[in-house]
Amino acid sequence: MAPDERTLEGWDPGPLEGGALAEAVERAFDYRGDVTVERRDGGEVVGYLFNRDADAATPFVQLFAASGGDPLTIPYADIRAIRFTGRDTAAGNSYAAWLRSREAAKAAGPARGA
Amino acid sequence: MSVPLSQMWTVASYVLKQRLRGNSRYPLVLMLEPLFRCNLACAGCGKIQYPGHILRKHLSVEQCLAAVQECGAPMVSIPGGEPLMYPEIGHLVAELVARRKYVYLCTNAILLKEKLAEGLFTPSKYLSFSVHMDGLREEHDEAVCRDGVYDQAVEGIREALRRGFRVTTNSTLFDGASAIRMQMFFDEMMDLGVEGMMLSPGYSYSKAPDQEHFLRRQKTHELFSKMLSNPKKRWKFNQSPLFLQFLMGKWDFECTPWGNPTYNMFGWQRPCYLLQEGYAATFKELMETTRWEGYGHRSGNEKCKDCMVHCGYEPTAVNTTFTSWKGFKATVEATLTGRL
Repeated sequence: MAPDERTLEGWDPGPLEGGALAEAVERAFDYRGDVTVERRDGGEVVGYLFNRDADAATPFVQLFAASGGDPLTIPYADIRAIRFTGRDTAAGNSYAAWLRSREAAKAAGPARGA
Repeated sequence: MSVPLSQMWTVASYVLKQRLRGNSRYPLVLMLEPLFRCNLACAGCGKIQYPGHILRKHLSVEQCLAAVQECGAPMVSIPGGEPLMYPEIGHLVAELVARRKYVYLCTNAILLKEKLAEGLFTPSKYLSFSVHMDGLREEHDEAVCRDGVYDQAVEGIREALRRGFRVTTNSTLFDGASAIRMQMFFDEMMDLGVEGMMLSPGYSYSKAPDQEHFLRRQKTHELFSKMLSNPKKRWKFNQSPLFLQFLMGKWDFECTPWGNPTYNMFGWQRPCYLLQEGYAATFKELMETTRWEGYGHRSGNEKCKDCMVHCGYEPTAVNTTFTSWKGFKATVEATLTGRL
């Protein structure tokens, strides 16, 4: 993958505490793929982390689980680890990549698609 | 300008009411995103890069109506995603029209002809199809990354007009846009019979594939000045003339990030339609807990430095029209003479 197309896909920062947890949450919030959140009680949730509030009285993250249902709210204090397990839907999708695929499609025939 | 009088009156009286109440922060247009799914993958769009299970989700009509009620804005814009892919779009629009909200259904129009034939919509002064058109055929198909979309959109526009609907266009301009080609585009849209056109420079979404072609401020002034400094009388724009003058460099506006609040399946988006820095559970929470001073051209926020997009600056333009004699006079002059 080109340097401008770097992704956190597959990243596993390991057990998280304090500042490292807060940083991983920020990265997960910015990540356009599913993550796996491991709770301190041993449970796991795979889903899209769409919100977080580090300044709330009880800091929390919010996810839509990949299995469906209403959004889940998990306090920071309950999180042991966050792994970037889902495909990064924003990666490998650069304008340069699109131009390359368009040129390839043009060369292959008159129609082109996105 | 082509905004109907009844709509102008609704907006004017709403703004004046807010001012009389001493309310300095109020929404003008609710950006209601019922889904993120789209049938295009445009290079400049950062709205659709989500996992499949998110793209398959959508808001219920009840959730949408609750957001509309909570927000209270007189106008509702329905972008997305592609709103014609929302299974309840007919029902949602009918409910909004019944509430006398001016609705802009922002569509790429690929499905427009089909949905009109299904009888999903009824013509109303409250409903306008705002068709995404980024220029003439070549430029538009390039922008949406697929050949043939321009022709489909034109077909959809013709059919909507034939059936008596209000139709406007919305165009996002990127670096490299040609003023002359855009002027030809304006002629073509007027020939088609659309009610008016909306223009905006693009915004560099951090997740959009195309990061290289967004306009910077000086280039925006140059492009819009070239395009609009000698406008033809027949060109109609469905937006504030002061906003267009701002794009031409004639006004120094600051952003109004709360002017077009955004609601979607994640909640009320902070701080605006373009930046995605978190979500509030309620509109009240959004308004009361967002650090608004951290956004806008003069805030020093890098993400806001070059932004001149309509969702932040058109509310400023509208507010200027109704809260200053200079703004009111300039708006009246532009409306009567067609000159910007």
